[in-house]
Amino acid sequence: MAPKSSDSQQSLLQSEPTNGSIDPAFHLIRILPYSFLRAPRLRLKLPSLSLPSPMTVFSLVLLTYFMVVSGIVYDVIVEPPGIGSTQDPVTGTVRPIVFMSGRVNGQYIIEGLSSGFMFVLGGVGIILLDLALDKNRAKSVKVSYASAGVSSIVLAYVMSMLFIRIKIPAYLR
Amino acid sequence: MPPQTMSAKTDATIGVNGTAKSTSNQAPPPMALPANLKSDLLNKLSLKSFKLKTKQQELLLRVSILFLVYVLAFITRLFSVLRYESMIHEFDPYFNYRTTLFLTEKGFYEFWNWFDYESWYPLGRIVGGTLYPGLMVTAALIYWGLRFLRFAVHIREVCVLTAPFFASNTTLVAYFFGKEIWDSSAGLVAAALIAICPGYISRSVAGSYDNEGVAIFALLLTFYLFVKAVNTGSLTWSLASAFGYFYMVSAWGGYVFIINLIPLYVLVLLITGRYSVRLYIAYNCMYVLGMLLAMQIRFVGFQHVQSGEHMAAMGVFFLMQVFYFLDWVKYLLSDKRLFETFLRITVTTTVGLAAVALGVGTASGYISPWTGRFYSLLDPTYAKDHIPIIASVSEHQPTAWSSFMFDFHILLFLFPAGLYFCFKRLTDATIFIVMYGLTSMYFAGVMVRLILVATPAVCLISAIAVSATVKNLAQLLRTKSKVTQGGSSKAASGSKASSKALLDQSQPFQRNGAIALLLGVFYLLSKYATHCTWVTSEAYSSPSIVLAARGAHGNKVIFDDYREAYFWLQQNTPTDAKVMSWWDYGYQITAMANRTVIVDNNTWNNTHIATVGRAMSSYEDEAYEIMRELDVGYVLVVFGGVTGYSSDDINKFLWMVRIGGGVFPVIKEPDYLVNGEYRVDKGAAPKMLNCLMYKLCYYRFGELMTEYGKPPGFDRARGVEIGNKDIKLEHLEEAFTTSNWIVRIYKVKPPNNRW
Repeated sequence: MAPKSSDSQQSLLQSEPTNGSIDPAFHLIRILPYSFLRAPRLRLKLPSLSLPSPMTVFSLVLLTYFMVVSGIVYDVIVEPPGIGSTQDPVTGTVRPIVFMSGRVNGQYIIEGLSSGFMFVLGGVGIILLDLALDKNRAKSVKVSYASAGVSSIVLAYVMSMLFIRIKIPAYLR
Repeated sequence: MPPQTMSAKTDATIGVNGTAKSTSNQAPPPMALPANLKSDLLNKLSLKSFKLKTKQQELLLRVSILFLVYVLAFITRLFSVLRYESMIHEFDPYFNYRTTLFLTEKGFYEFWNWFDYESWYPLGRIVGGTLYPGLMVTAALIYWGLRFLRFAVHIREVCVLTAPFFASNTTLVAYFFGKEIWDSSAGLVAAALIAICPGYISRSVAGSYDNEGVAIFALLLTFYLFVKAVNTGSLTWSLASAFGYFYMVSAWGGYVFIINLIPLYVLVLLITGRYSVRLYIAYNCMYVLGMLLAMQIRFVGFQHVQSGEHMAAMGVFFLMQVFYFLDWVKYLLSDKRLFETFLRITVTTTVGLAAVALGVGTASGYISPWTGRFYSLLDPTYAKDHIPIIASVSEHQPTAWSSFMFDFHILLFLFPAGLYFCFKRLTDATIFIVMYGLTSMYFAGVMVRLILVATPAVCLISAIAVSATVKNLAQLLRTKSKVTQGGSSKAASGSKASSKALLDQSQPFQRNGAIALLLGVFYLLSKYATHCTWVTSEAYSSPSIVLAARGAHGNKVIFDDYREAYFWLQQNTPTDAKVMSWWDYGYQITAMANRTVIVDNNTWNNTHIATVGRAMSSYEDEAYEIMRELDVGYVLVVFGGVTGYSSDDINKFLWMVRIGGGVFPVIKEPDYLVNGEYRVDKGAAPKMLNCLMYKLCYYRFGELMTEYGKPPGFDRARGVEIGNKDIKLEHLEEAFTTSNWIVRIYKVKPPNNRW
């Protein structure tokens, strides 16, 4: 279904009677308004839809993954506060609590987003490692990709372990 | 490479065997005869080891890895059997066990036509038409098979160990699936990852005799067979996938996921221009035969042509016919422009007809709309506002990040990386696994329970990431080597690095870097294994019917109150007594105490459950009337105030109010709250302090000292002293309270004689 510009449309109108179109709608339109009206000269172009490249789709997918893993559905339904707070019994000051403690399936919004970011960072680190091993790049670029990848993975893993240890004090004991 | 040079090379490196071989040809050593025999034995072993070709060595390695993974998947699920005993866990498995028992005792036809009058008291339940028989039939077949071989097993043992057995089979299917999508090394990693992944273990531990244990095996099998059918275009594989789908339909209600994912996948393939005759054959065979087979299950019935959830599959089926037709017309016509016009007309007419058909079907009511359970997956806020029963189940809560971390650990990092590798190499199979992974991850985000469905996809995609990364790193180690070594593609290449001659200055740096990274990968995977074993041992191996806690001196204290109460019921009540309790405990009461219940976990009748909820939340007089109407003889409540057990009926009470209030507007939730807060102490609402549930739970509790330094009647689960300590019961009397006060049974007194 290729888009038709106005010129081809006009030429089609002129050459159709000789070809014999099989489109009944076309014949109907030809008879009813356009036997006495002149067809307008349009400069319309139907937008051509083309499939996006795989890497574009992949970046959208990565964004969706970040949102799901941060617990966005939990945030929308349960509506927890962005960050928890507790009041110091002695001085009366309000101290923020970042990690909701007490159960595994509960979170505040900010803690969810930061953990989700760490997971995506780890994934991106592995992707950078693979890019670093691609043969067709300059050596300095490869080295910087490799070091960025390794540091991302290490940082993401260490931070995730730290987060889970804060959230569940009995972890691995 | 010829075996001769191989054998010479291996001989040089296996130093011990080489020297042993050389000494045996000379004069015998001063040692006695056994040493000679020992060297001969070593000879034989070394001769055997280098007679194998590389391919055979690889096959041996793969088979032994798969065997170890198979055994590992089985034994990691046995924690609770070793700690407590071989018993059925949780609530739902008790119903499955009872039906399997019935099946093995009475035979298949009795089972298929069974009407159970022992549950949902005045109504009864058509069991044959309202369950998924796959699990029971599978366990019964295994039982009959073992009995045929003269192993005298009890059906309970078979039921307890069915889930670990099928988990092991799932690892094999995962291996073949990985081989189909990427290559055999990715398949091996996938099998290893899925064997210990906590997301799968949570529902397939030994004793968890539930539909999901078998259903995940059927799910992965169906997907594997379908992808194989699409890749090969063979009729056999398509028919096999239809039978796999039939097994899945018979096993679990989650088959709706398959019948929607596969059409979505076909649609994506059509959009990306990957239409082929293989796809046509695979989808047509699978859809038609699968649909016909699915209609054999009474519970499913004609839903494949009547329910809105299955319409996508039908729509794609007709779309495939249109594609095939257009392909044929294109082949016949030689004129391109004529074909384009024809294409436009056909597509417009088809879409128009489909819309009209769908509209007429939905408007006339023939096509039923999406049921609440599945609609709440698309619109997660729906259940909270409209269907409190679905919203109250703890497994249906949305997922927080820590649940993901708990169940997946490292796989959360590997999943996006695996997606990247799949997008780099797009084939029909990788498109499938990407779609499966994305849709299942979204649903896992909506409902905690569905992390189980996402686990195979996450394991497979992570396996692709691990396999591709390790292959890349191992490639670095082998770049300039002259002699190619055989063997597997795993991280064993580190040992060969030391014997290489170095050609470049950057080589040692690259090689050392690659070795370090491989060690890092190994470290991460070992941390994954540690995490999985810890989670399995601590979090997912509790039977739920037996509670354990740490005593004051750190010793383990076991509360077996549930079984104590059910056994008391079985021994001390008349056989036709009816027991009223909240629906959570229905299955356990019918299975273990063998008494009729009013409502149970099937929750098919909301009004009946609301009646029970209304009775629990009314004053004693109104509740007594409802109980007399329902012929109730005994009431059972669960109370955690003495032990600090937090899943008791007082904590579930608000759900009883909400569900009861949903049907009977007499019950209003704000009556039980104070300033929006739910309290049981002195400041609680008067309706709360005098309702039936409160009285039954706290009867005589006011005299009990539960903790040092606290007043009597201190509720340890809520952490407050209760408000109403002086409770008098008029129409009920206490029949039994278990040793830790967890289960309390009350007898309903007959009405007073007229004066």
